[in-house]
Amino acid sequence: MRLLDEENIGDIAVGAAILGSGGGSDPYIGALMAREAIRQYGPVELRALDEMDDADLVVPAAGMGAPTVIVEKLPNGDDLIRAFHTLGKYTGRNPRATMSIESGGMNSIRPIYLAARLGIPVLDCDGMGRAFPEIQMTVLTADGISASPFAMSDERGNVLLIDAVSNKWVEVFARSCVMRMGAVGAIALYAATVKQLKQAAIHGTITLAEEIGEVVRKARREEANPVDAIRRAVDGFLVFRGKITDVDRRITAGFAKGNARMAGSGEFAGKRLELEFQNEHLVLRVDDKYVATTPDLIAVLDAETGEPITTEALRYGMRVAVIAFPCAPQWRESAALALVHPRYFGYDVEYVPVEERLSA
Amino acid sequence: MMRQVALDDTLAIAIGAGILGTGGGGSTYLNRLRLNNELRQGERSVPVIRADDVPDDALVCAVGGMGAPTVSNEKLQEGQEIKRAVRALEEHLRQKVYAIVIGEIGGGNALGPMITALQCGTPVVDGDGMGRAFPELDMDTFMIYGAAPAPFALADAHGNVVIFERIGSAKQAEAFARSLTIEMGGSAGLVMPLMTGAELKATVIRHTLSLAKRIGEAVLDCRARSIEPSATVAELCNGVVLFSGKIIDVDRRTVQGFARGKLVISAFDDFNRKLEIDFQNENLVARSAGQVICTVPDLITLVTLEDGEPIGTESLRYGLRVAVLGLPAPKELKTPEALTVVGPRAFGYDVDFRPLPGDLL
Repeated sequence: MRLLDEENIGDIAVGAAILGSGGGSDPYIGALMAREAIRQYGPVELRALDEMDDADLVVPAAGMGAPTVIVEKLPNGDDLIRAFHTLGKYTGRNPRATMSIESGGMNSIRPIYLAARLGIPVLDCDGMGRAFPEIQMTVLTADGISASPFAMSDERGNVLLIDAVSNKWVEVFARSCVMRMGAVGAIALYAATVKQLKQAAIHGTITLAEEIGEVVRKARREEANPVDAIRRAVDGFLVFRGKITDVDRRITAGFAKGNARMAGSGEFAGKRLELEFQNEHLVLRVDDKYVATTPDLIAVLDAETGEPITTEALRYGMRVAVIAFPCAPQWRESAALALVHPRYFGYDVEYVPVEERLSA
Repeated sequence: MMRQVALDDTLAIAIGAGILGTGGGGSTYLNRLRLNNELRQGERSVPVIRADDVPDDALVCAVGGMGAPTVSNEKLQEGQEIKRAVRALEEHLRQKVYAIVIGEIGGGNALGPMITALQCGTPVVDGDGMGRAFPELDMDTFMIYGAAPAPFALADAHGNVVIFERIGSAKQAEAFARSLTIEMGGSAGLVMPLMTGAELKATVIRHTLSLAKRIGEAVLDCRARSIEPSATVAELCNGVVLFSGKIIDVDRRTVQGFARGKLVISAFDDFNRKLEIDFQNENLVARSAGQVICTVPDLITLVTLEDGEPIGTESLRYGLRVAVLGLPAPKELKTPEALTVVGPRAFGYDVDFRPLPGDLL
């Protein structure tokens, strides 16, 4: 157990945005909210799963919607509290802690905000080890944990509960409702016991995000190249450097979908990169050859500062470095992989682990 | 006074509900088969109570099917979805439902609640929230006269249940529920609203289940005596026969979860004399020679000429020989606050509501 204060939030936000693989929304707003909540209510306890009782109920909390909208239509915070309480009430049990459902931008931070306001611990784990665009895309689903009952609220005070027969159905209904809510909603889902989570969740991801954020901060202070420091911290590969030459982004069915093209520079001069995304970066090709695909992680970084660039912030002219790194090992098991396979997203390509693609 | 609904009563109720359905409310045929099946199990009947017999503090809920009739005719209900939604709400509120209320008396939605009542072991109330059928769920007297739209629940054939615990307005409830119904495949079971007995008594249109049965019995009596039933039905409901003729054109699309379109009927004696009707699940506006002759909330119902069988908007087709009934709406739908929700302007028609004389009951 340790306490997270305002200082830690900045590092977690930066690291989470890198783990977010382009998604999970801009961490800046989430970090502002969490800092303010900690200032007002005091530091938040970060606990490992081992530091809880096996029978304790944990209710993860998150934001849902299109990141392009979330940066304009700010969350007010009460929606998250309402969703959390509604789910707790529906289960008939008192949730002892909260956690992130995904590592990425705002969704790594929002549970810390919630924990600060409610005075409960936040757990050092999550359900993805990165960010993904749909509700059922968690290693928890692969382990048989139900996303139902699922609670959702918006800034107007509307509250709903979904009790569905599969996690994919939760996604279908929740997506339909979040569009009605104006493409942003607050959610609580995947209520589970600590015992279930010890087996199913991806452990240590808040600490990992913080460590990555710290590396970036130190590299900047020492005027070292943060991109290289990040690559080493995540055990990844530099796959491209260059300039964004085109971004095609649409808000379709509640998602920010599209692709970006880049022209290489330096050691990548003359090469072309294509990146496809749906809230998160999903696949990338260099000179028409697949270099990295979901579920491995793809981070687009500002070439100078190492600042991660989320899918909604990509724009023409940016000078970027692109790194790819391996996903959490749980994703490579067949049941989990099927949930997030490139083919699920419509890309006709086999999944080959990024380290194998790049060493070949 | 009606005390129960038994197997022998369902045909008359189905015919009467179809006539009150003004083309919508879903198929009475399918729901009658399902109700008969449920009644045969254990030779049961559905207890019927008056709204005024419900204790003020008891919990009641209106139920019905939601979606496009064009879909619900092809995609049959699984059978337990509304019961699941009722049980989920009971569990959520930790209170049992005392009686089931018919959300709309028109069409199959008159019969479905009796199936739910049998499944839940509760009586059904003799009354409803429309006295007819309407396409959207904010269009009932419960919502118009101030019952809270939340909590409400939707359920589908797969076993999924969605509960809305808080919602800003009945109009928002309609928007969310319509989107979800489309995701659920175009039809869903709805439980809305939950009310106390006191709220029920303040908002319900009373005795409409009895009326449906009386209408159906009158039609069956005409059939037995080989009389065209339309005039008898019109008289029983204080209405008129607006038109008789043959359907010569139907333009129907399933749009945003609704069956929308228009039809044209031409008279037998003069085929240039025509009646045009616009519908959105239900028949909304009737025009003759460019003049509006009847609009919502008054009831515009098509029945087959010979045997008075009501025709749903999803079953309209070229060549059917029909009588068009114009029946006055119940008085609860004709107050200023009701007309803002169910008058012609609420459906996008820039005409004033000029009521047929009298009231439905």
